Amino acid sequence: MSEGAQNPYRIYRTTWILLLIITVMMLAAEALHMPRWFLVAFLVSFMFVKATMIAGNFMHLRHEHRRLVITVGVGILVTSAILLAYITPESASVFEKTLR
Amino acid sequence: MSSHAATLDAHWDGGVSPFGATWQKTMMWIFIVTDGLLFGGLLSGYGYLRMAGTVPWPRQSEVFSIPFIALMTFILITSSMTMGTAVTAARLGDRKKALNNLIFTIVGGACFLGCQAYEWTQIIHEGARLTGALPGSELAVLGVPVHFPATFFVLTGFHGSHVLSGLVILIITAIRSAMAKTPAQGVEMAGLYWHFVDLVWVFIFTLFYLL
Repeated sequence: MSEGAQNPYRIYRTTWILLLIITVMMLAAEALHMPRWFLVAFLVSFMFVKATMIAGNFMHLRHEHRRLVITVGVGILVTSAILLAYITPESASVFEKTLR
Repeated sequence: MSSHAATLDAHWDGGVSPFGATWQKTMMWIFIVTDGLLFGGLLSGYGYLRMAGTVPWPRQSEVFSIPFIALMTFILITSSMTMGTAVTAARLGDRKKALNNLIFTIVGGACFLGCQAYEWTQIIHEGARLTGALPGSELAVLGVPVHFPATFFVLTGFHGSHVLSGLVILIITAIRSAMAKTPAQGVEMAGLYWHFVDLVWVFIFTLFYLL
């Protein structure tokens, strides 16, 4: 018998505990005044870990059909990547023009 | 059947349910994706204003109480856990457990909204307005950029309005569950929306309050 069949609620408690641990780690990293590059990489990485855990375990996306997972994941990630790709150089350009 | 239709049939293996989900769940996911894009746009706008601005962004701990924001995060994550439990209980036919957990989730959501109202009140007292910091106010003395209060109000306001609408949906679902009028799928749909609200907070918490 699978673990999920023995206690179907365990996955929520486990995910909840892991999310809290990650949140505490993120808060600690911010409070400890880590170098900026490290803080950005650390926080953004764990932000995506938390998002994946919520979508996968709480929203049951990991049990859904592959087509649904791809549609949802690619839809959001590609659009966000396009936005970021346009915004980053544009904002840098505006920043430099304002300073001149 | 025409040869064209026969060719299409030969390549189409999605049957009547290509996503392997009911139409309600498929539509809910499509809604979540579009709503996610709304927040993607808002967060991108925030990123643009912050990166393009020449006035440095303030250190968040100087403006907000980070332990208080951490408490709000704890409340929302906990409410997501109880919501997940309610969805599984409803699917297994345990109505009492489903209802109890729905009520816990509603209480968590209400606490989160209360915390947000308190936070808004505090920052408005410190001089934050949608158009910038009031001259001579605490925030103006800190030298926050003009876009700082605006991005705060827009991001947390949109998220808070989602929490509020999620609460209304949860209250209706709980009442209907108590009357045995909501099928397990109804609880699951409400749950998907609630988890989405939690998911959006993960991004706002990291990108706006911590970075």
